[in-house]
Amino acid sequence: MLKKLLVIFLLTTTLFAQEYEEENRYALGEGIQAGSLPLYVGGYFSIDYRNKDSRSRYRIDDLAFLAYGNYEKFSYMAELEFKEFYTLSETDTGDTTEQDTSLHIERLYIDYNFNENYMLRVGKYNSQIGFWNLLPINVLRDTTSNPVSTYKIFPKFTTGLYGSYTSYNDGELKVDTMIQHNDDLDENYNNYVIDEHYALGVTYSKEELDLKLNIGMFDTYMPDNTTQNLYYFLASMKYETEEYQIMSEIGTQKSKENFTTEYAGYLQGVYRLNYKNAVILRLESYNDKFSRIQDEMVIFGYTYRPIYPVAIKAEYQLHSLEKENQFLFSLSVLF
Amino acid sequence: MKLLILLCMSTLVILQLQAKDYAVVTNKNFNTLSVGQIKALFLKKTSFLGNKSIVPLNLSSRNAVRLSFEKKVLHMSFSRLKSYWTKQHYLGHRPPISMKSQESIGVFIKKVDGAIGYMELKKVDSSLKIVYKWSD
Repeated sequence: MLKKLLVIFLLTTTLFAQEYEEENRYALGEGIQAGSLPLYVGGYFSIDYRNKDSRSRYRIDDLAFLAYGNYEKFSYMAELEFKEFYTLSETDTGDTTEQDTSLHIERLYIDYNFNENYMLRVGKYNSQIGFWNLLPINVLRDTTSNPVSTYKIFPKFTTGLYGSYTSYNDGELKVDTMIQHNDDLDENYNNYVIDEHYALGVTYSKEELDLKLNIGMFDTYMPDNTTQNLYYFLASMKYETEEYQIMSEIGTQKSKENFTTEYAGYLQGVYRLNYKNAVILRLESYNDKFSRIQDEMVIFGYTYRPIYPVAIKAEYQLHSLEKENQFLFSLSVLF
Repeated sequence: MKLLILLCMSTLVILQLQAKDYAVVTNKNFNTLSVGQIKALFLKKTSFLGNKSIVPLNLSSRNAVRLSFEKKVLHMSFSRLKSYWTKQHYLGHRPPISMKSQESIGVFIKKVDGAIGYMELKKVDSSLKIVYKWSD
């Protein structure tokens, strides 16, 4: 019911907003204001192609709508998404198609800013862990694929409270905490089904360098339907200039007794040939003790952005597990 | 040799005369700000100073004063800022509003408590407070 109401709200406001398009001089990737209301609407989509083991897969992956705004010390964000909306895959028996028309709540939260230093959030949000998970959508990331560490180590989404303290001086220091002690707002839209998540993060930024540490614990359902507490640690760094960006995240995850993922990490370099073209090299490695899979990979990528909110990407992945070698191509747009 | 020294000194004087000075300005109720705070306000990492709501003001996107502000204070190019604000759209943040001229920034600041903008130093009048200065 909540999702239906949100869809009606988003569609109505989008139509309302279109009447004001000319006045607001809409530009792709910036969203549009609904009249003079504290409401901006936008969205994004992504289509992709994969060739793995000589088999092709075509997908309309993401189709999402955003609505956000602020009023005095409050701000809000709503994001609804069709995930893997349409998939056409080649199999041994011929082509198969799948459609998932369920609409997921990706983010839905309200922020309250006490002052320049303190902020409190209530709702479902991207877990504020590492750097990749803060901007996880295809059009904003550098490659079509996500590093393994970004979906093996920690829950990508948290439903509950988020609080942060930030100090803005020569360097910027941020300390934040996440608390979930309830069900996920949309448990089908998360990499782990969780009902508890407690985490702490510290970020320090100065000029081109950002450093971040995260630790946390979450309670999740295992394949045998039992629940288990899992503990994780992630260290991240990002160095970014006008021409290039170097980013790395490495983490580990364990239960009370054993490592579930001994390590998972990546080191990625992005070199911008110019405003429109970038080449990417990513080295990745992980050791998943739970599923007993260990893999190393090298990923070569190329991204062309005719304008920034439109990304056309190609990448090739070379794995130590050779059957995982694959080619990916995608088109994604933020509007 | 004397001629060479004289030539060098003249060049330095000419360059100095050509250098432009700029200021980040507010009304008289503000304290001096650090570069970190100015960056945080203009990049919309925060919209508050203490409990006060802040309204950062930009000049139009290709204005020379704005380009100098972005290069010397924010340390970001036009294209990098474009990608920054695209990412901020996904995060639910909007760029500062743009004003047509330095004069309109001055008028806005006088009328709206919490407004902050930038302009050439020579255009700052006595009703505005300079919270930060930079040169080309």
